[in-house]
Order: sequence, then structure tokens, then C-alpha cells
Amino acid sequence: MKIFPIQAQEDTVAAVDTLTEQYSQKWDGAAGLDQASPLIQTAASYDLIFIVLGVSLIIWFVLLFFIIRVDKKVSKLEEEIEKSNVEDTL
Amino acid sequence: MRLKPWKYIVAFWMSAVISIGFLTPIPDIPILKESARNLFLHVPMWLTMSVCFAAGLYYSIRYLNNPIMKFDRKAETATQIGLIFGICGLLTGSLWARFTWGTWWTFAEPRMNLSALGMMIYVAYFVLRTAFNNPEKRAKIAAVFNVFAATTIPFLLYIIPRQLPSLHPGADGNPAFSEITAPELRYIFYPAVIGFIGLAVWLNDILNRYKTVKHLTDQQRA
Repeated sequence: MKIFPIQAQEDTVAAVDTLTEQYSQKWDGAAGLDQASPLIQTAASYDLIFIVLGVSLIIWFVLLFFIIRVDKKVSKLEEEIEKSNVEDTL
Repeated sequence: MRLKPWKYIVAFWMSAVISIGFLTPIPDIPILKESARNLFLHVPMWLTMSVCFAAGLYYSIRYLNNPIMKFDRKAETATQIGLIFGICGLLTGSLWARFTWGTWWTFAEPRMNLSALGMMIYVAYFVLRTAFNNPEKRAKIAAVFNVFAATTIPFLLYIIPRQLPSLHPGADGNPAFSEITAPELRYIFYPAVIGFIGLAVWLNDILNRYKTVKHLTDQQRA
């Protein structure tokens, strides 16, 4: 008899319960799309992937902005320390 | 005060990976569906975490060989960044599990739970660091602990989960990653791994320089 140290739970094989299938048809914004502007129609096409991409890119660019800002601030501090060290040696 | 050119390359590379990752057509994989795109985020995060922890181990060993505080700072920084990527890996994994396995968390999934255990071991590293006021003592004990923590990671994340029944690919009874991953996904997956590691190197660089500046200003004040 093969004994597994960890037994698989019955409820873990819930293959049918996928949020993608449950909610993709229930997006409120999908109603009346044919009267919407071309921009909205384009964004809502292709399984809403453009909206997901847009949100992801906004988060990424905000993160990138802060990374670059902190990097420049640290560079500025390094320059100040270097300058004060040079002044001390003079 | 200009950024180094490689940092612009990382920024552009990651922007391209995110954009192409969402826009590229992917095959219709049963159950996974569009959530298969999470492969470009979830797995590279774990690989990046492993690289960071390996760097932390390297600097901890260097500190034990040659006790210079610079090595302790680098080991701590690499571990901090690794832990951040590990937590992001857990979060993206939990989200993916909800969409494909039907649950946010399951105690029947060894890799999921052992990964969380691995993160807790690394959280203990930072808790341990706060217990010492003497910097030399703190650095030495932390370096020894980091060697222990880093050696647990291959067992917790790769070796033990592969021996047990699991929902993850590559585990007992499941096909390995190489067998189920479509070529279209690989074109984005490998660049994503490079991009995430580049981003981790950038974050390491910033944090390490910041700590060096802080160390120098503290010395000047003293």
C-alpha cells in the first residue's frame, strides 16, 4: 500500500470553479458597448486584455517612477558626501 | 546624477515584457485559460528570489571569512530584496490558485506551504538581526543563520515538493514544466526571468548604496 504523507483534499480539485468563466460575461461595462466611443470599444475587445494591460502598465510606471526618483536621490547624497570628503582633505 | 545605461535597459525591458506578455496570443490551455499569462510573473519571481538568496548566502560566507561590514550590508540587502520577491511570488501564486484550483490556499499543496515556511525562515533572519545591538555580533550571528536559511530553500522549494503529490507541474504524477509549456509562452517567459533578475539587481544597488550612505553619515556624526 502506498502511503502519502500529505493527502489531497477533495475540494482542491475544483476545476469547474474558475473565476474567469464565472465573471467574464458579467462585466457591467459590456452592456451597450456598440454605442460607446471607438477607444472604449477597442479597450473592451480581445477579452478585456487591454484593460488588464493598462492597469498593469500604470502600476509598473508608477513603481518605475519611484525607483528612478529614489536612485537619483541616493546619487545626490553620494555626491554630497564625496564633496564634503574632498573639502575636508583641502 | 544621470542613471547608468543598464538601468534604462532594465526599465525598457520590463515594460516590453509586461506589454508583450499581455498582448501576445497564447494557446487555449484547459483550466488555465488566460491566467496562463501569470507564468510570466509568478515563476520569474521565484527564480529571482532564489538568485537573491544565493547572493545573500555568498556575502554571508564572505563575511564569515573576512568580517568587513560591507559584506554584511550586502548580504542583508540581497536577502531583503529576495524576501520581497518571494512574498510577491506567494501572492501571485495564491491568486493563480483561486482561478485554477478554486481556492486561495490549500494545506494539501506541499510547494505552497513549504514556500510559506521558507519565507518565515527568512523573516526570522530579520527578527534575529533586531535582537543584537552590537553590529559585529549581529553580523556574525546573522551570517551563520543565513547560511542555514539558504540551505533549506532548495529542499523546501524544489526537492521535497517534487517527491509529494502536488497540483504544481513537475510534482509526483504531474507533467514537468518542460512538457506542458507551449513554445509561445517560452518566448516571453525567459525574457521575463532576465527582466526580473535585472530589476532585483537594480533594487539591490539602490538599497545597498543607501545603506552605505547612511553608514558614512552615521560615522561622520559619531
